[in-house]
Amino acid sequence: METTHKHPPYLLIWLYLAILTVAELALAFELPISRNMKLLLLLFLAVWKALLVAMFFMHLKFERWNLRILAIIPVPLALIFIAAGMSEHIW
Amino acid sequence: MSTVAATAHAVHAHHDDRSFVRKYVFSTDHKIIGIQFLFLSLFSLLVGGVLAMQIRWQEGFPGQPMPGGKLLPETMASGGVLLPEYYIELVTMHGTFMVFFAIMLLLVGVYANFLIPLKLGAHDMAFPRINMASFWSAFVAGILMFASMFVPEGAARAGWTMYTPLSARHDLSGSSLGQELWSISIIFFGLSSVLGSLNYISTVINNRAPGMTWFRMPLSVWALFITAILGLLAVPVLAGAAIMLLFEQILGTHFFDPGAGGQALLWQHLFWFFGHPEVYILILPAMGMVSDLVANGSRKPIFGYHSMVFAICGIAFLGWIVWGHHMFVSGMNPTLGSTFMVSTLLIAVPSAIKVFNWMGTMWRGNIQFHTPMLNAIGFVAMFTIGGLSGIFMAATPLDMFIHDTYFIVAHLHYVLFGGSLFAIFGAIPYWYPKMFGRLMSDRWGKVHFYLTFLFYNLTFFPMHITGMAGHMRRIYDPTVYDFLKPYQPMNEFISISAFLLFATQIIFFVNFWWSLFKGEKAPLNPWHDNGLEWTLPSPAPHGNWETPPTVYRGPYEFSAPGVSEDYLPQNRKLPTDREPALAPAHGD
Amino acid sequence: MTHAMASAMRPPFPAERGVDVYNKKLGMWVFLASEVMFFAALIGSYVILRFGAPGEWARPGIVLNIKITAFNTFLLICSSVSMVKAYAAISDGDPRKMRFWLLMTIIGGAMFVGIQVYEYFHLVEHGFTPAGVREGSELAELVKDGTLPAATMGLYGSTFFTMTGFHGFHVTCGVISMAYLYFVKALPGKITPQDYAGIEVVGLYWHFVDLVWIILFTIVYLI
Repeated sequence: METTHKHPPYLLIWLYLAILTVAELALAFELPISRNMKLLLLLFLAVWKALLVAMFFMHLKFERWNLRILAIIPVPLALIFIAAGMSEHIW
Repeated sequence: MSTVAATAHAVHAHHDDRSFVRKYVFSTDHKIIGIQFLFLSLFSLLVGGVLAMQIRWQEGFPGQPMPGGKLLPETMASGGVLLPEYYIELVTMHGTFMVFFAIMLLLVGVYANFLIPLKLGAHDMAFPRINMASFWSAFVAGILMFASMFVPEGAARAGWTMYTPLSARHDLSGSSLGQELWSISIIFFGLSSVLGSLNYISTVINNRAPGMTWFRMPLSVWALFITAILGLLAVPVLAGAAIMLLFEQILGTHFFDPGAGGQALLWQHLFWFFGHPEVYILILPAMGMVSDLVANGSRKPIFGYHSMVFAICGIAFLGWIVWGHHMFVSGMNPTLGSTFMVSTLLIAVPSAIKVFNWMGTMWRGNIQFHTPMLNAIGFVAMFTIGGLSGIFMAATPLDMFIHDTYFIVAHLHYVLFGGSLFAIFGAIPYWYPKMFGRLMSDRWGKVHFYLTFLFYNLTFFPMHITGMAGHMRRIYDPTVYDFLKPYQPMNEFISISAFLLFATQIIFFVNFWWSLFKGEKAPLNPWHDNGLEWTLPSPAPHGNWETPPTVYRGPYEFSAPGVSEDYLPQNRKLPTDREPALAPAHGD
Repeated sequence: MTHAMASAMRPPFPAERGVDVYNKKLGMWVFLASEVMFFAALIGSYVILRFGAPGEWARPGIVLNIKITAFNTFLLICSSVSMVKAYAAISDGDPRKMRFWLLMTIIGGAMFVGIQVYEYFHLVEHGFTPAGVREGSELAELVKDGTLPAATMGLYGSTFFTMTGFHGFHVTCGVISMAYLYFVKALPGKITPQDYAGIEVVGLYWHFVDLVWIILFTIVYLI
């Protein structure tokens, strides 16, 4: 029994990515925002772009939940490592 | 059923007409690759042992010319007396060879490769050619590491843990090429490990025979699977660190250089973030195999199978957040240190659960005291001692005193030798028939076990005492310290026990090699075990099964009621068994 | 997406449904998990070093060329789109279109590498190296007049070249894999709507490489 699944709107995602990149550049160089705010917003934008690529181009959104877990497992480990290393400089 | 037939590859269990080179050298057969790893790792074990003998000579008899020492060049030994620079190379290389090339390759390279497809009813690993690449990458790494001992200025000298800045700067360590080769070798080793891990994980997830559900897998496979996940995620961090160290050595980068804003402690965080999951890589497969051996040797199901699985997962999970306990005295953030103390104390719990479950398995069992079972029982006892000394170290205030002393050396040898190596000494004769079609001598196996057990305890137990007294690790001559002089007789005792321990291993090596040619031919199932591998001829043929077996039960149905034998293979269908339902495939 | 998936593209023995992907795809996802940890070591070290640095970090845009790199980022994102279009084409049953988009991806990837290499030459010429700022170079002047902070330039150079260098290495491996796929498999018609595992698997790798660059571009060039 053959079923046909629609593709996600790749060109639309590409447009979002382009817009977000422009937003990042504007944020980094043009907008008069405080440094810490800038850092937070830039990281947020970067993670958003990364998620778009992972969910739609890598099709994670359409895979089983346990594959998404497999893919995400390294992230908390990396964050633990970074947090521990950074804590060396706040005591 | 047609799905199974359609997906079974056509390559296997037919007349094998490949050339010698394709069959035995550049082989993609997981069993041959496992045996290749066996030869590489046994050689590395020998190298590590020879290095240890020289270390023990120096520690027991400092300043005295070593027998055979006059054969060493003047850069290593002056008139037969080992030089301090050479001593620190010995210590570094002993750790490196033993941890990476002996134990890791024996537990994972050999047994993950050999056992996983056989115990799951698969034809081979998910990616046989990547498996081959994994072996040859490890081989290249081994060659580089071995060669590093013979280059000008000698081998790496900063301990197997390679702390910076000693490891990063030639002007501090005195070793340049040797140090760089260490980094390069480890990068190749890391590649081998990651390639292997991705194979083992994919095979366990996707390549199980019909009916082999997760909770019907043997504990050896569970342990190897979880170990592969640890390796997959931890070893790349080591590779990254080794790359950074290499760049520090040859490109003049400043990651670890405080003078240029870098952080020497960064290396320790990177290394131990890998290093702690690494030590669980070094013990979990041993625990898994011991579970198989103990259940078989007791003729009883494993006590608490599910809790054993959860304990393995718990150890692996907690293992990511304890690495700082290797760094308590490094000057790290003390608050961070105390979080590590808590998590480290916690991780004792799942390990203890496993020990109790092994004891519960043996309780009122019909114990068969053959060589594999003896070694498995030895594992349980010695690992317990090693684990108990670990509790001392978990307590940070106590660790302040015993860090970098022989107390730590005692602990690590109790878990790595008393633990992992005894498990290996049990596993090798156990699966030898399936590998080589012959049996090792059980009588000489027992002699080897008893003598090894004796000399091993005589060697390593006193180290708890000297360590508590303040005997530091990695020092060239303990007698320069007045407070250590009273312990020198104990050091001599340890050294002599170590020499006898090493000599005893000759029995094992002779048994191994002689049995390859003259050992008794093995039947299908010499140990009356339930695993799928025992349904194949000894040795197992290329491709394993024509059609994969169907599994009806778990692997520990020993002394089951209603069956005349005291074992019940996983694939034997009883009148009361139903065929396993195959899950619907994607999109159906 | 049609479901004419043959034996090559379904899990071998469906003992349980599991993650429900065929071996090659599972293997690639597992491999990518290890790659995340590898980049986590390099990028994590950068974050830790920068956070604990004994002084100010160089302000963005002074050493590194933002315009060219922004274009390069855009290029890599476009090549990710062309890759997914190649995948969509073959899964919809159009090998010709797949070959076209695959070729576009290879060109995009190769251009990215080329531009990065050009940038590296440029930077080294101006005095920026993995060991920091070279004595007597143009950048050394900027350090002298205070535009660039002396205390952290060594770290800046070390982390920049290591992170972007290994990313570039991964991109290069991707381009080579895609070239192999194109010339050895796609052109002779060995990639079919029944078995396009190669495209899907290499595609995953390529998207991952793009994803890492999205993170790198932000935290190395813009912050």
